[in-house]
Amino acid sequence: MLASRADHAGLGALAVAALCLVALGAGWFDGAVNALVVLVLIIVAAGVGALAALGGPQARRLLAPYGLMKPGLLWMALFFLAPVWSLLRISLSTKESRFSVQYDFGWAWENYSTAFSDFGAQFQRAFLYSAIATVLTILIGYPVAYVIAFRGGRFKNVLLGLVVIPFFTSYLIRTIAWSTILADQGPIVSVLRTFGLVGVFEFLQIMDNGKLLNTPAAVIGGLTYNFLPFMLLPIYVSLEKIDPSLVRAANDLYSTPTAAFRKVVLPLSVPGVFAGTLLTFIPAAGDFVNAQFLGNPNTTMIGNSIQDQFLRQNNYPVAAAMSTVLMASITALVLLYTRFFGTDDIA
Amino acid sequence: MGMNRRNSARPGMTRREFLARSGALGVAGLSLPALLAACGGSDSDGGALLFDNWPLYIDPTEGDLTGSVDRFIAASGIAMKYTETYNDNDEYFAKIQPLLGNGDTIEPDLIAPTFWMAGRLISLGWVDKMPFDKIPNAANLADNYVKPPWDPTGEYSIPWQAGMAGIAYNIDVTGRELKSVADLFDPAFKGKIGMLTEMRDTMGLLLMGQGVDISSIASFDQAAGAFEQLEKAKTDGQIRAFTGNDYIDDLVSGNYAACVGWSGDVLQLGKDAPNIRFVIPEEGGTLWSDVMVIPKGAKNVDAVAKWIDFVYDPVQAAQITAYVQYLSPVKGVREELAKIDPELAESPLVFPDDGMRARLKSWANLSDDVDAQFADAFSAITGA
Repeated sequence: MLASRADHAGLGALAVAALCLVALGAGWFDGAVNALVVLVLIIVAAGVGALAALGGPQARRLLAPYGLMKPGLLWMALFFLAPVWSLLRISLSTKESRFSVQYDFGWAWENYSTAFSDFGAQFQRAFLYSAIATVLTILIGYPVAYVIAFRGGRFKNVLLGLVVIPFFTSYLIRTIAWSTILADQGPIVSVLRTFGLVGVFEFLQIMDNGKLLNTPAAVIGGLTYNFLPFMLLPIYVSLEKIDPSLVRAANDLYSTPTAAFRKVVLPLSVPGVFAGTLLTFIPAAGDFVNAQFLGNPNTTMIGNSIQDQFLRQNNYPVAAAMSTVLMASITALVLLYTRFFGTDDIA
Repeated sequence: MGMNRRNSARPGMTRREFLARSGALGVAGLSLPALLAACGGSDSDGGALLFDNWPLYIDPTEGDLTGSVDRFIAASGIAMKYTETYNDNDEYFAKIQPLLGNGDTIEPDLIAPTFWMAGRLISLGWVDKMPFDKIPNAANLADNYVKPPWDPTGEYSIPWQAGMAGIAYNIDVTGRELKSVADLFDPAFKGKIGMLTEMRDTMGLLLMGQGVDISSIASFDQAAGAFEQLEKAKTDGQIRAFTGNDYIDDLVSGNYAACVGWSGDVLQLGKDAPNIRFVIPEEGGTLWSDVMVIPKGAKNVDAVAKWIDFVYDPVQAAQITAYVQYLSPVKGVREELAKIDPELAESPLVFPDDGMRARLKSWANLSDDVDAQFADAFSAITGA
């Protein structure tokens, strides 16, 4: 009887186990009840194990899909759902006192109004800078990926390696290195000064008062540099898959090279651009390293504010509210983007 | 001989440079051992005395020189572990708060927060009394540190080292000597001025520039003008960055014309960077100290007493001063230092002369509410 309904048993066990892990991870209960939750978890696991062992081949076949889902789902329950639940709860809590470690839950929506009123500019900058950086990575990454994929020949792997090798160095070291390169007495500014181009760059809003470092351009440039491979590699993969004979066919049908690119190569490579955009925009919007090392006090992004509120101001409720807003806005933007540009291959 | 000793003991990085870098790593969450050291409530090291201090803040054992910790271990027979995970007052507080706030103990037996943070820990009741009856050398404490504002009864703390905040500047960029707080707001230096994220040092200088006495300040209203000045300078792009300890690189490389800086840093640059100058502005500079406190529930209190007694011996303290080059709170260090490093013993940045003393002010102990107002206003401006 039970063996024939093993799929239901498997699903139920999975749901109960996930709930137990969320309860443990988010700290729903105190010590004694937690022990009970662990006990339930063990009983459920043992029950499913017993069912699989004793229920025969049919039960095992029905259980197998849930068994395969188990690692992923339980992992998400403990390390994604539980933290998100805690985050939401803290974002609606208040602190008892300034240095208190207790947070009283009380639908404190004012944390969200603080997040918007005090940090609206940082939100705007985060989305603006990361959007510009994403566009720049496409403009830079696409041609490079194209050349490697179609003209790379036997050097393809070497060229790809050259793209990736700098990223064996730590993210921080690479970002801090840019502060040396862009410094006021550094190589780039010196060259610009020698050729009298500082005025042009200032007119283009790239330089400010003769400096390149600690400007919005430096922050966007840092984001672009740091996330370029995340754009380039997916585009390369989608270009690499394109059969060159399709382009030849277009040429045979009297297509100009431009039209062949526009009508054949570009549409087939959109999935790569789409994946690259997600891989670039999402982390860039929450980034705080580039703004910290390459920016100035007027270029801070929301990631800097969240980090500061969490780790220096001890203001967990407002920090949690900001994190929630950031997650929600990114989710909304990505859904919108998927709606308009998404392809079946990815979404 | 003295100079050779000091030079051979000089590390490749100054203390603050090291801080900047390790701080950067800490930002990325790479300082897991640090976190574990601070948070590990269990006493995995048994009875060893553990002092968690700021990086590069003591003479280490290098080559044929024996560092203070090893000299102490040899002299006392006490097992001691010295760690350098105290990188930032606010971050460290954020780490220990969940433990001490819940009545748990932290692993270190001794930490050296900056005076205002020590004051906060004292007023929260998160530190134990110093066993002064077992520290005869505590009598060597310099007079101006007896019963200080952050520890009015003088029962809970004793300074480790002290220092000054003033204006550090790169004369190659400024093209002139600086002497006033107003120089930080000179439009000629637009985008080339650095400020410290350490609120009391940055605001201390600005307040004194406006003629406000920080040693008696008691309300936020008195500081409102200085905060407005800072806000305007930030919005106008006068300020290039608010930094922790990494300002010295920007100063040396010429990104900064001038910045609020710490005395020891400029001193440590020494002859390698003759274009970097340090001045206590004519309106005044701040005098700060990092003070040793015993976190509540620490086990090795007797060993702490022996350690403090050891470093308050002027002979030992002079060794530390020769290395770290900050102000020593121990009487008699100058005489001892003169024997090992006569040049340093004459430096006004280590032993301020009367003229400099007169311009130095220490912060009043701000009440909790006022401190919160200052901190909020400052963090709103620094833009993080």
